[in-house]
Amino acid sequence: MGRKKQKQKVVLPPELPPEVPEDEIEVSDEDLEFVNKNRDYAGFVSKLDTQSITRHVNRVADAKENDRSVNVKEDDLEFRYEKQLRKKSLTTDNVQHEVDLVDALPVKTLDGEVYYRKVSTGSNQSKNANVEDENEDVGRDNGVVKLTKAEKRAKQKKLRKEAKKQAKEVTEVEEEVELSSQADVLAEVEKDLTAEETNEQKKHRLAEIGTSMLENPEGNIKNLKEMLQICKDGDRYILDLGLKSLLAVFKDIIPGNRIRLPTEKELAMVVSKDVKKTRFYESTLLTVYKAYLQKLMSLEKVFGFKRVAVRCICTLLDANPRFNFRDSLLTAVIKNISSTDDVIRKHCCDTIKSLFTNEGKHGGEVTVEAVKLIAGLVKDNDCHLHPDSIEVFLSLSFDEDLRKPETSKADNKKVKKKFYKTGRRNMEIKQSSADEKKKSKQEMLSKTREEVKADYMAAAFAQDLNEKRKIQSDTLSSVFETYFRILKHTMHSESEANESITGPFGEHPLLAPCLNGIGKFSHLIDMDFMADLMKYLRKLAGGSDDVKNPSDRVSSRLTVTERLRCCIVAFKVMRNNLDALNVDLQDFFIQLYNLILEYRPGRDQGEVLAEALKIMLCDDRQHDMQRAAAFIKRLASFSLCFGAAESMAALVTLKHLLQKNVKCRDLLENDSGGGSLSGSIAKYQPYASDPNLSGAFATVLWELSVLSKHYHPSVSTMASGISNMANANNQVYVASISPQQAFSDMTLDKEKFTVKTTQKQSNSKRKRGNRAPLPLAAAGGADKEAAVDENVVRTKLSEHFLLVNEMEENERLRRELDRTKLAVQLYKKYKKQRTM
Amino acid sequence: MRPLDESETTQVFEKLFKFTGNNLKNIVESPSHEGPDQTPGRYCFRLHKNRVYYVSESLVKRATNIKRDNLVALGTNIGKFTKSGKFHLTIQALNLLAANAKHKVWLKPTSEMSFLYGNDVIKGGLGRITDNINAYDGVVVFSMSDVPLGFGIAAKSTQDCRKMDPNGLVVIRQADTGEYLRSQEDI
Repeated sequence: MGRKKQKQKVVLPPELPPEVPEDEIEVSDEDLEFVNKNRDYAGFVSKLDTQSITRHVNRVADAKENDRSVNVKEDDLEFRYEKQLRKKSLTTDNVQHEVDLVDALPVKTLDGEVYYRKVSTGSNQSKNANVEDENEDVGRDNGVVKLTKAEKRAKQKKLRKEAKKQAKEVTEVEEEVELSSQADVLAEVEKDLTAEETNEQKKHRLAEIGTSMLENPEGNIKNLKEMLQICKDGDRYILDLGLKSLLAVFKDIIPGNRIRLPTEKELAMVVSKDVKKTRFYESTLLTVYKAYLQKLMSLEKVFGFKRVAVRCICTLLDANPRFNFRDSLLTAVIKNISSTDDVIRKHCCDTIKSLFTNEGKHGGEVTVEAVKLIAGLVKDNDCHLHPDSIEVFLSLSFDEDLRKPETSKADNKKVKKKFYKTGRRNMEIKQSSADEKKKSKQEMLSKTREEVKADYMAAAFAQDLNEKRKIQSDTLSSVFETYFRILKHTMHSESEANESITGPFGEHPLLAPCLNGIGKFSHLIDMDFMADLMKYLRKLAGGSDDVKNPSDRVSSRLTVTERLRCCIVAFKVMRNNLDALNVDLQDFFIQLYNLILEYRPGRDQGEVLAEALKIMLCDDRQHDMQRAAAFIKRLASFSLCFGAAESMAALVTLKHLLQKNVKCRDLLENDSGGGSLSGSIAKYQPYASDPNLSGAFATVLWELSVLSKHYHPSVSTMASGISNMANANNQVYVASISPQQAFSDMTLDKEKFTVKTTQKQSNSKRKRGNRAPLPLAAAGGADKEAAVDENVVRTKLSEHFLLVNEMEENERLRRELDRTKLAVQLYKKYKKQRTM
Repeated sequence: MRPLDESETTQVFEKLFKFTGNNLKNIVESPSHEGPDQTPGRYCFRLHKNRVYYVSESLVKRATNIKRDNLVALGTNIGKFTKSGKFHLTIQALNLLAANAKHKVWLKPTSEMSFLYGNDVIKGGLGRITDNINAYDGVVVFSMSDVPLGFGIAAKSTQDCRKMDPNGLVVIRQADTGEYLRSQEDI
């Protein structure tokens, strides 16, 4: 019994002679004689305390029985015996479900017990019972119970330990033998077990394979195939799990570079064992990967698995952008970039964005391909995609020096006319101007320099600057191609005014991100395209291009927000190209002037308007006096019409303009004659469409005095401050916030002020801070109360809306009535004429 | 003094159109508050001794009382017809054009004097320029403080102007306010 303590080498006692049941024992005569002669020898047998021995053995067995919930514990020695017996019984009874005899090494549990694990499923109990009968001597229960959670955990632990000790050949051999036998055994078992148990099995198997792959990928590459196999035949849940576990494994194993399969010639060569092993590993990896990808692609079309498949594809592409098959992955991702399913689309967009931002991973080639594919997608779908698909372009980044070769080319052509123009850089031109000797020497020098450079480049894996530039210019050209296509599409769909092509994403879904992108990359646009771009933008923003049909309003179908965005983009583009010429965008100012009138708070986005005001009016350096005055006047009227947010934005802009254009302060004076600056227009035209012709100098800003009584305290203080600007002689420029900030401040800032006058406060929270237009009639005499019951508000609102509805109905019916009346009249006339 | 006939009217309007574009209707239809009448009258064009005048109707009515030889000028002189029948705009039309100009050019303070002496505008003297000017459009020249200085013809479109070198010609001068001093006799 001392041997229990020894964990290490257990020396097996020699094999016992085969057991023979007592009945069959034929005691030979000689033996009988011997025994009879030497009674003494056999004396010990009688002296044996069989009782105690059996008791002891039973106690041990019982103890082990009682701890069934954990596992069956075994003694070192006993285990060996058992193993021997089992090996024998293997021949008799094939179905030995020692599924997991990777227990060659014992494990110590928390209880301090040393045991070996044996795992098999419940139904093995019956078979084990047979085994039991044969091993009555041992008197133990070999039944191995179902796995519990603790068992699984311990099993995992064991797997890891075992993997570490793979040096021991004995154990390895044993394992392999058992593994293969287990594999066969498993196959048989699967047929018998119920579906749940199969799933459990498969899950465990997946987990096992996964961890084994992580430990030693090269050795266990065959298991990958098995994993794939599991994926193929499982039911839906298992398929999910299988795909995901394969994904996790691949993510970790796949190397950062492409695998090139060995060519015929290389295969024919004799190579060392290591190389063979690596080759085998690589080829298996590739085949399994390919099969997995094919499975993913086929599953992507099946509705139920679409999300999982797409997620797998995205993660694979993201993690290893340089590996083989990335083109097919990329096509699959881009195909889904515009899907209506939010989750899928988000995955794809995120992947593409991370690809764009992490250019170091793949060196820019994937960027070009992705951009080209997206451009193709836009072309095929005729610009009816979700805006996210173009928004990914915003995460592109380009080097600033993309334009350098162009400018140096231009300079060379112009300045150095004497020399032979090849379109190359300065270097060569300088060379051609040197004299003979120096030239040859320089040539030699430059040649050696080139060689050194080439070697360095080859060794450094760094991308050639030219190559990088080329890739970036390719990307840029595709990006702009897409943008221009979108712009063209928007324009053409308007010229066919009768069609209304509304896809699932609305009329012009791609216009907003397209404009944002143009604004962002505006400094990279070539000069030649600038003119076309401005022409398009002008048309889109609503200006008529040619004078022939002045009444032709092309863009009546673009919303106010979109037109505002066009103006904003035009200004951004122009601002980024100020170095050449300071161009004044008259048409866009006219557009803005009209758009301010057309703005409606519920329908259009106030933030865009605030941004437009900022970019066009506040940031600009110089303004036409008439124009500035016209804007000032119109903004003042505008701030009277809407809620606090828009008023604030308008007032901020107004202040800015007044501070910059000193002459416009005449508007603050009471001199309504117009003064010298009014030109030929004697009277203010409030509805004029051209700011230059509005005659704003002929008017006064009386709105400010009305605004100084505004309910919102900040609006009123600002208005009174502006009115005093003429009197205040301080030329100090007070830093004011931008109109966008003002707008955003006011929208969130609803309840933070105390109303000066007693007024009804509505509890309805709206997004923009505009109060609900409570009808004064309904409010009636009850508006002197400070706090209002919400229900009352609700009923009043519903009344109001009912009323509005009814009025609309009325109007509609009246119109119909008029129409029918007209028709009847016409008919009467016609009849009369006929009879005449 | 007589009103313009068909061909003359077309000529005058064409020239004006080059500068004003669609705003031409403002010129033709702007109400005039001159005269004792309450309701505003209109402006019209009259021809007198080969010069075209832009004059309000009430003024015209009263001017018919003056003998042809004694009448020197009336209203605003905007241009004259040459012996061969072509119409040229003169500097006195500047006020009218400046108010309704479609294409404008602003000069830097340093190059104002050069323009007023009768030279053309080069790119280096340009402060600002309106977008989408086409070549050979009419352009009104302003100073940076929005004082009209004269007018001319654009030599290049805005797009081409960008690419030009700083000594290139942008506006070919047709008339400037310096003429009031230089050629006093003609006016």
